[in-house]
Amino acid sequence: MLVLFETPAGFALFKVLDEGKLSNVEDLWKDFATSESARQVVKLKAFNKFENTTEALSAATLLIDSKPSKGLRKFLRTHCDGETLAVADSKLGNAIKEKLKIDCLHNNAVMELMRGLRNQLTELISGLATQDLAPMSLGLSHSLSRYKLKFSPDKVDTMIIQAIGLLDDLDKELNTYAMRVREWYGWHFPELAKIVQDNIQYAKTVKLMGDRVNAADLDFSEVLAEEIEAELKEAAVISMGTEISDLDLANIRCLCDQVLALSEYRAQLYDYLRSRMNTIAPNLTALVGELVGARLIAHGGSLLNLAKQPGSTVQILGAEKALFRALKTKHATPKYGLIFHASLIGQAAPKLKGKISRSLAAKTALAIRYDALGENTDSSMGLENRAKLEARLRVLEGRELGRSAGSAKGKPKIEVYDKDRKKGAGALITPAKTYNTSADLLLGPATTPEQDGALSRKRKHEEVETESAKETTDASVEEDGKKEKKKKKKSKIEETNDNDATVEAAEPEKKKKKKKIEGSSAEFVNNDETTVPENDEEPSTKEKKKKKRKNAETEEPSVNVEEQETETKSKKKEKKKKEKKGGE
Amino acid sequence: MVAGELVYGENRVVVQNEDGTKVEYRLWDPFKSKLAAAILDDVYDIGIIPGDRVLYLGAGSGITVSHVSDIVGPMGMVYAVEFSDRKARDLINMARKRTNVIPIIEDARHPLKYQSLVGVVDVIISDIAQPYQVKILALNASYFLKKDGRFMISVNAKRVDPTAPPDVVFAQELIKLYAEKFKPLDEATLEPFARNHSCIFGGYRIVNIHKRGN
Repeated sequence: MLVLFETPAGFALFKVLDEGKLSNVEDLWKDFATSESARQVVKLKAFNKFENTTEALSAATLLIDSKPSKGLRKFLRTHCDGETLAVADSKLGNAIKEKLKIDCLHNNAVMELMRGLRNQLTELISGLATQDLAPMSLGLSHSLSRYKLKFSPDKVDTMIIQAIGLLDDLDKELNTYAMRVREWYGWHFPELAKIVQDNIQYAKTVKLMGDRVNAADLDFSEVLAEEIEAELKEAAVISMGTEISDLDLANIRCLCDQVLALSEYRAQLYDYLRSRMNTIAPNLTALVGELVGARLIAHGGSLLNLAKQPGSTVQILGAEKALFRALKTKHATPKYGLIFHASLIGQAAPKLKGKISRSLAAKTALAIRYDALGENTDSSMGLENRAKLEARLRVLEGRELGRSAGSAKGKPKIEVYDKDRKKGAGALITPAKTYNTSADLLLGPATTPEQDGALSRKRKHEEVETESAKETTDASVEEDGKKEKKKKKKSKIEETNDNDATVEAAEPEKKKKKKKIEGSSAEFVNNDETTVPENDEEPSTKEKKKKKRKNAETEEPSVNVEEQETETKSKKKEKKKKEKKGGE
Repeated sequence: MVAGELVYGENRVVVQNEDGTKVEYRLWDPFKSKLAAAILDDVYDIGIIPGDRVLYLGAGSGITVSHVSDIVGPMGMVYAVEFSDRKARDLINMARKRTNVIPIIEDARHPLKYQSLVGVVDVIISDIAQPYQVKILALNASYFLKKDGRFMISVNAKRVDPTAPPDVVFAQELIKLYAEKFKPLDEATLEPFARNHSCIFGGYRIVNIHKRGN
């Protein structure tokens, strides 16, 4: 009986010398404990080495599917005459039986035999040491895994990211060089810069012409249009530029060559980018176009990363600065980022750009996921969705037409009241209206000198952030206010009226957009009862004008003598009153 | 093993040896790696020593595999089996840098498919969260694990049987192990690093038990 054993180096065929041992499965392992006893049981009959890794890979992949490769078949045919073959894989055994008419055996005993063989493999196969097996195993495993993962070099999105980066770089460089040519040649022929607007044409012209005296004789028809050519020839005669030597001209010509070469390369790169985009992300390309798609991928870092983003993120990718600014200042967030340059958005009317941008972003996110994680490589899904979006655009346009032509009784659109929204159109951020504190008028009665001092100091320090040392009832309100504070840009801590080493908590004052009333707990060690009701009156009058009266309860004369409302609070309230009245 | 390379954003420490050479150690995160958690839970003997050949079923992205590769050193070998494509990609990248890791993208339930790649191993580590993981371990052991070999199996009670209480599940797994010629020697619950988890260490077809590693 023969045993077929696969190794990373090749196929091994062992002859079982003592078949009786196989009946005693339990003790079989004893025979393979040492190499000598193992050699009593089996002997290497033949070994078929893999020629190279490709052969090994193909043989291994076929074996995974329980199919014998051609090499294996040949090997078995040569050496396996008339004997039964013990195999580890019963399906393989069946296949071999079918194709080669060799009887195959597979049972527990065979498995134990295999185990033993594996133990003593290096001993039994002379010329195959562990050191040789290891790198072969490594190489084969890497090839196999790559095959398994269908690692296709076509689908690497790093190429896209690099290509688009290079495209941008090239554009910059091209522009720089072209400007340089203009400047340099302008020393000799300044008028040309105004006549020929396009950079490439300029370079070609300079290359052709060299010295401007040649302009009259040469024919520029391939490079320039007729009128421009005429202008050029005129200007060449009456130019006020200086003469330059041939050596200088040669150098300028070299630069022109560079410019032209670069622009050619740029065109080539653009083509390459387009073809890659179509291979890697066909659906994305179908929806937004190659350039925008490539930029999105580059922005996201990789196609897979991009696929993890929701549609809303895809919509504003590229407008992060505007987005976070708007979020911080509670303005309207931008409607589109990189996706603005997609042709679908370009087609839409300005009023509809926002809507289309949202729909497009949603479908784009789907397309990206399909490209990144799906199996197919066709763009059918992208094209379908594009058609849907175009249809939607038509519908929206139709509605717009109807509306502009329709009833409209001259009333302005009633907007939903949103207490948090600032007035501002779309992506524009209107600066917040700030309250001019110098316009403050204190209507309150005479205050104590300390409070006065505190007041003036507080006037000067316009933005103050407090940490109240002792908070009691105001705690909750302050919490509220503190949440607002987090979004504020400036903050200072002010200490006022240090009396007997007590820390006072000054009122937080912010210029911008404070909606809620801060709880305050400025503490004066020596406050009088008299001042308390007075101060309370002040704020209370102003309070009534507020829409929010969160601090109503806290402004009652507190039993705790140390708590008191300060003027700063009233000032703040005045500010807020103004803002609230704005009704934004 | 590969100085300067970090696998999963871990920290590293450079220590000076007595002979003046610098050795770089990577910090092993017990929250990410069950083996680390088991070691921290005072398991008696993880069974891996330098120079071992280890078969690792359920290699994942290769976090624990990289540490095992460090333990076995350049003389040893780690056969890392992982079925998921995404995870395998990370595994392959890691294996590219470490020559003692052999990545195998196959289903651990069919050791036949990768038997030509794996020789005899000293230790099998199994981290497959499947209800019949003991059977898988046993099958692989019958192919590859040497006699007196060691194994480690990580049991997630919720994955094996979500309805039963964890202790019951662990006990059942032990019984299954005994039935398959395994001899569990030590068990470590992975609190506080992971809940309802336990790592069982033991030997295979063992005649004499002796402590292998530290």
